[in-house]
Amino acid sequence: MSNPVELRNTVKIYDLGGGVKINALRGIDLTIKKGESVSIMGPSGCGKTTLLNMIGGLDHPTDGQVIVDGIDITHMSEKKLAQIRREKIGFIFQFFNLVPMLSALENVQLPMIFAGKLSDVEIKDKAVELLRLVGLEQRMYHRPTQMSGGEQQRVAIARALANEPSIILADEPTGNVDRETGWKILRLIQNLNEILEQTYVIITHDPHIAKTSEKIFYMVDGQIYEAPPRSATTPSSHVLAEERRQLMLAELRWLKTSLVSLEKRKAKLNPESYAQVKMGYAKQLERLKEMIQEDHGKRRSI
Amino acid sequence: MFKTIRFAFTMARRSIGRRKFRSALTILGVIIGIAAIVSLMTLGYGMRYQVETTLNEMLGAGIIISSIEGSIDIPEHVHEFVSQVPGVNASVPIVMTWVYLGDQPTMVVGIDPTEVAGLYHVTYEDGRGLESGGDDAILFASATANNLGIHVDDKVTISTGLGGTGFGGTFKVVGIIRSLGTEQMNIGCFITLEAAQEMLDKEDYVSAIMVRLDDPSQGEQVEAALKNMFPDAQVIRQEEIMSQIGQIMDIIDGVLIGLGSISLGVGALGIMNTIMMSVHERRREIGMLKAVGAERRHILFIFLSEAFLISFIGGVFGCIFGLFGVSIAQWFITFLKINITIPLIISPYILGIGLTAAISVGIVAGFFPSWTAANIRPVEALRYE
Ligand SMILES: Nc1ncnc2c1ncn2[C@@H]1O[C@H](COP(=O)(O)OP(=O)(O)OP(=O)(O)O)[C@@H](O)[C@H]1O
Ligand SMILES: [Mg+2]
Repeated sequence: MSNPVELRNTVKIYDLGGGVKINALRGIDLTIKKGESVSIMGPSGCGKTTLLNMIGGLDHPTDGQVIVDGIDITHMSEKKLAQIRREKIGFIFQFFNLVPMLSALENVQLPMIFAGKLSDVEIKDKAVELLRLVGLEQRMYHRPTQMSGGEQQRVAIARALANEPSIILADEPTGNVDRETGWKILRLIQNLNEILEQTYVIITHDPHIAKTSEKIFYMVDGQIYEAPPRSATTPSSHVLAEERRQLMLAELRWLKTSLVSLEKRKAKLNPESYAQVKMGYAKQLERLKEMIQEDHGKRRSI
Repeated sequence: MFKTIRFAFTMARRSIGRRKFRSALTILGVIIGIAAIVSLMTLGYGMRYQVETTLNEMLGAGIIISSIEGSIDIPEHVHEFVSQVPGVNASVPIVMTWVYLGDQPTMVVGIDPTEVAGLYHVTYEDGRGLESGGDDAILFASATANNLGIHVDDKVTISTGLGGTGFGGTFKVVGIIRSLGTEQMNIGCFITLEAAQEMLDKEDYVSAIMVRLDDPSQGEQVEAALKNMFPDAQVIRQEEIMSQIGQIMDIIDGVLIGLGSISLGVGALGIMNTIMMSVHERRREIGMLKAVGAERRHILFIFLSEAFLISFIGGVFGCIFGLFGVSIAQWFITFLKINITIPLIISPYILGIGLTAAISVGIVAGFFPSWTAANIRPVEALRYE
């Protein structure tokens, strides 16, 4: 039996033009089994959303393969991808999940309307059932603006389930609500996962939430690990020191340019204020040099 | 397909409802454009109708042979030759001249009483018609009669000069007929041919010979024959006049439609702008719709139906306001005391053009932004900044 998600050496490079390229995914190999609930963690910009886009057929990879439910979607046409998205995948996003002009009920109906397989009555009945499932049968006719963030998120979950997809992808589903609500949403997802045997992939920044899933993947700079890599868990000392060094170097450059421009203006300034300013710069420079040397010494000793 | 379109219309309706003010302004743009087109076309149509009926009623013949510059110098017996020309059914000599009734100018036609009915569409509102030998009788058109307060059995004096100077005579009103022509161009009164000739001291001369044809399609041959016979006279075929007038009216129509189209063009830009803004504001919504399974066509239809609804509403109200516009123009003309009557003729054809123009302009203008929307990539949905 085929796995719901299979990535083979998947690469995504964003070409920003002018020779600037961002390696968002650097060859990801990932297999997610049926019924598994998986969390993906990692620092901002490491490529989590990009990965989810690949799995969900929202974007084409630059290289490698993406296989969903045994179907290779790597080079699929727009139209076919749309079909895969609505039949095999349910999305839950962090923000802006719902169409503001439509009621909760209508929002849940969307994937079924696009699929165009059920009759109006069936679509409506099913949407009502789904809203009942997430405990929102009272709010069917409310617009998103009339609902809390948590309620909106529950509507999004109901919508994600509409076409009975085999995979549910959630990009920080609890990122926009308070902790308490976040937990409620998560318990809902877990219960549904158990009952409906769907596969869940959840991106989260919250380690507590991640721990509730069966597997946790960590991403760093476009690569994925099953165990927390050192740099992901304890990034501080090394990264911070590097940041500090960069800052000091920049400051050094700035001081140098200031000194050069001061010399240029020397003729126009009165000698007294010139001497004063130059003194100030000299002191700063001295201090900075000391700090850099100190930093250098520390680095050696590590 | 039906469900896709129905869904698209639901979205479009909500979108328009959500951005009421902007939508209203856009619709207003379309209304102005369509109202301009409909009112100008209706005015043009009314004018054409007016001119054509006037000419039809006043010319009353297939071909007219007239002396040049309106003088009265065609020998009356000429009409006997004209009658001989093949294709001619009848030829009627008439005298036609401007006269004053006190200080009011009006057109008088002198004609053999037995020929009146054959030449003009005469209906009597009061009294009776002219009779042969009844040379002191005069027939008035109701408009002129009402204007001057003339009734049957009144005695009136007409003269070629102002204030009773020049030639003239006194007549007894025997009947009032429905007016022929328009207010500006009409025949004010009829007298017998003899009376006219006598009054003007032009015995045996007439100003025109009206020719009725056996078959209207033979007009050109008959015209050519008559021109051959009377090289010095002016031979005019009614159809020719009508087609010349028709050409002029076509040009007027063209100019009017052109003017209307400019304002409709502005309306089209409004639609384009509105849909473009709507697409721009809803990029993330579009991406999200695609993420949950919408295809290009779903998105395309959502925005096309918005353009359609805006232009349809604009078109319907544009037609209504266009007709109002004609009434306002009519009122304005009367207000300015300009002596023109343009009837308001509601033509379903023009309304159809108005509505079709609105909808097609809306769809064309809305297509580019809708297509842009349809091609927004779904990753937009997951990007937030
Ligand atoms: N459409 C895009 N065009 C260009 N660069 C992009 C695009 N999307 C993402 N990136 C870049 O790719 C890298 C990975 O982005 P991604 O959104 O996947 O990160 P993330 O792990 O989801 O971050 P976060 O936790 O902040 O959501 C980032 O450097 C980002 O700037
Ligand atoms: Mg992200």
